Amino acid sequence: MRNQQEIKKLVDRILKSAGQFDAQVYYSWGKSLATRFGENAITQNMGGEQEQVRVEIHNGKRKGSMVTNKMDDASLDKMVEIAIEMSKQAPEDSEYIELLGPQEYPEVKQGFFEDVMKLAPGDIAKDLKYVVDRAAGKGYKASGLYEADCSQDVIANTRGLFCYEDRTNVEYSTTIHGPKGSGKYEMCRNSYAEMDAERIAEIAMANAVMAQNPQDIEPDDYTVIFKPLALAQFLMFLVMNMKARDADEGTTYFAGKVGEKLFSDKVNIRLLTDDAQLPSPKFGSDGLPFKPQTWVKNGVLKKLYYDRYWAKVKGVEPDATLYPVFMEGEDKTVDDLVRSCKKGLLVKNLWYIRYVDKRELLLTGMTRDGVFMVEDGSISGPVKNLRWNESPIVFLKNVVGMSRPERVGKYAKIPGVMSKGFTFSSKTESL
Amino acid sequence: MKDLTEVALNKAKSAGATFADMRIVDERQNRVYVERRSLKLIDETESYGYCVRVLIDGAWGFASNTLLTKDEVAKTAERAIEIARASAIVGKEIPTRLTDEGKYIDTQVGPCKENPFDVSNKEKAELLLTCTDTMLNQPNIVMAWGFLQFIRMHRIIANTDGSYLDLTNYFANPMLSCHAVDSGESQSRGYQGGAKQAGYEFIRKIDLQENSKRWAEEALIKCRAEDSPRGVMDLVLDPMHLSLTMHESVGHPTELDRILGWEANMAGRSFVNPDMVGNFQYGSELVNFTANNVLEGGLGSWFYDDDGVKMFSFPIVKDGKLVNLGSTRETAPIIGLDKSTGCCRSDGFQHFPINRIPNLYMEPGKDDDVTPEDLISGVDKGVYIEGMGSFSIDQMRNNFQFGGDMFWMIENGKKTKPLKKVTYQAQTSQFWNSCDAIAGKKYWNTHGVMNCGKGEPMQVMRMTHGASYTRFRNISVGGAQL
Repeated sequence: MRNQQEIKKLVDRILKSAGQFDAQVYYSWGKSLATRFGENAITQNMGGEQEQVRVEIHNGKRKGSMVTNKMDDASLDKMVEIAIEMSKQAPEDSEYIELLGPQEYPEVKQGFFEDVMKLAPGDIAKDLKYVVDRAAGKGYKASGLYEADCSQDVIANTRGLFCYEDRTNVEYSTTIHGPKGSGKYEMCRNSYAEMDAERIAEIAMANAVMAQNPQDIEPDDYTVIFKPLALAQFLMFLVMNMKARDADEGTTYFAGKVGEKLFSDKVNIRLLTDDAQLPSPKFGSDGLPFKPQTWVKNGVLKKLYYDRYWAKVKGVEPDATLYPVFMEGEDKTVDDLVRSCKKGLLVKNLWYIRYVDKRELLLTGMTRDGVFMVEDGSISGPVKNLRWNESPIVFLKNVVGMSRPERVGKYAKIPGVMSKGFTFSSKTESL
Repeated sequence: MKDLTEVALNKAKSAGATFADMRIVDERQNRVYVERRSLKLIDETESYGYCVRVLIDGAWGFASNTLLTKDEVAKTAERAIEIARASAIVGKEIPTRLTDEGKYIDTQVGPCKENPFDVSNKEKAELLLTCTDTMLNQPNIVMAWGFLQFIRMHRIIANTDGSYLDLTNYFANPMLSCHAVDSGESQSRGYQGGAKQAGYEFIRKIDLQENSKRWAEEALIKCRAEDSPRGVMDLVLDPMHLSLTMHESVGHPTELDRILGWEANMAGRSFVNPDMVGNFQYGSELVNFTANNVLEGGLGSWFYDDDGVKMFSFPIVKDGKLVNLGSTRETAPIIGLDKSTGCCRSDGFQHFPINRIPNLYMEPGKDDDVTPEDLISGVDKGVYIEGMGSFSIDQMRNNFQFGGDMFWMIENGKKTKPLKKVTYQAQTSQFWNSCDAIAGKKYWNTHGVMNCGKGEPMQVMRMTHGASYTRFRNISVGGAQL
């Protein structure tokens, strides 16, 4: 692993070799450990490390790029040579945008932790032993993934831009299958110290026990309470459609809808840069600095995402990215939502979500790893998985209540949400 | 190179490994991407690295590296050994045992008549820009995009069985699509033929430019079409559409690692269990699925899989009955088989190879004279579907819902009007058992899939599917409408 100064020296050398051309270099380094387990045993166990560089040559409005993971001088020189040659062959880009100059980057919360760098395969295996022993002790089967990543990313160019970021991530997810149902839990944090392998195992185990022997129910419209894990997957499809250009061209639901109240007034979706539990990156893919943003306020669509080209056409400020997604919640727990529900379904996880109608943002998918009937404010028992066809627009319009937000994966901090009138369309026997 | 692979294999043997291999992967990729009339990307990527996989006391260790010197190879092997010993902390009840396979010394190069890396990037970019321009010049087309991807994959695999394999394959992957907007509707349409193991000759053959105008016109037809009917009716499906249906409902459920529960945390398990092999009526007697990893041009035809097993062809479903599974050297012995079916592949040097879908196709109907029109003429009320659209299937690969790319109403034996937003929903074996007619061999066509995601961390794999036009009776259509 190179330090920041060493990386700067490397990218400066590459930029210099571009000679008369403008150039942008993307440097990345990554080191990872990944341990998979299934049927109460480790099935794959991997470790690796890699450096990679991309150079993008700007030859007037023509561009050419080359990527290599060979870091010797001759290979780096060859990379630049090939990129220059490609830029000469390339037709001009009709939507060409010039390279950014030096930028000021926000102070963000710490995202790199030495304890992840120091993790050894044996440490992970010991953490996994706990969940496997818990599952085996009850005759259940545990499976999952425990992954620890360390990374460095740099973007630098001949106009003076230089941005550097390092991050670590630890992700642990486990699914425990009993004879008639499964439960899942997962956690993602930037430091190993924040992980609690025993707690993850215990929650997954409790979910699995609770999910056994589900009863048959008929597909229909139900009030649902989505746990944050389920909501994160559903919500991502909404966020992916929040690009201003697509809306302006009429291919997404948000065409002509900025300023309209589309959702319940409880719905606020933002991008934050100061959250300690989900540290924000400093910059987007072209080096643009992150800044806080409000996409939805009190149910009103305030703004869509503008890339640099469309922002220039429309005369607005460009956005670095749409992610991570922060959705505000209420000062409640998911249990509080259950207590306030007369009749509905508690959904812990979703699976295989796809568009049915992209323009209307109608999605399909299924429940997985535990669905529970809620009656008169308490859980009456597990039910069998169902296929649903529903839109996140409708879901967020029909919000009844929310829990406190939780971090889900690398890119979301969102609450559990109760919403009425969610459409389930068919049954599946699959557990 | 052999001196380097020997370093790794000797280290592993000294540590007590019962099996070890070293896989060196040198991959070069060329991509061109056009959005509207803008050339967004033109690049090449070279990726060079290797991995060492060791099996010690029945537990796996795997380490990868990009630095290929004797010292680095030795360190990588040591790392793999350390990881294998960590794996033993949560070891299997029955230690991993691999099937005995042959020792092979071989060099092979896959089909490629015109090396895509010798074709100028200017030509590739201009092809896509011409196509998107043609599409954007048609009424109501607001967006068009095109993508060309070419990959040269060179693998060297050496293992403790004594095999040493030097294998090269070329892949060509074209994509082209456009979006029309009309009366508040937006619909897309484009190239649906998929990818092939080939050189640039494949791009010249499919003639993207010739078809661009038609696809743009059809996108607008879709916008103005009636919504899907609703009810139980018949379906006639084209080969491109069926490639996705079989991928999801036959390919994945017959992967043995899923059946054994190793994918339970993410991709899921399978409704199939080993006892069903030889007994289970997967489809009607007309239905025959063949796994063929030596299919000419097939994206999964890699000569040898990443276990070092020589690839071959075998039936998965014969006369409707499940007769075999996709397996690896590790999964096969667990259900008592003494040979792998050669389905172990990895998407790069940095990933552990896993049980993947092979090239998998549905055999054409036995009567060569049966045409797609014959299938349609036998339908009173139904839908004819071309190409791929929405797709979703449960984690046991049972309940599925599929869309498509182009739809036509069938009434009284004739295609009568275009439709949009059609989905159908079924359970896997119910669906394949409802197959009552398949068109002949001359209508059989393949579709190469470049983006099959599986595993954790996610691996993206390639394989080819194939089918002729096929008819299904009494399927639930239109249930996705709100």
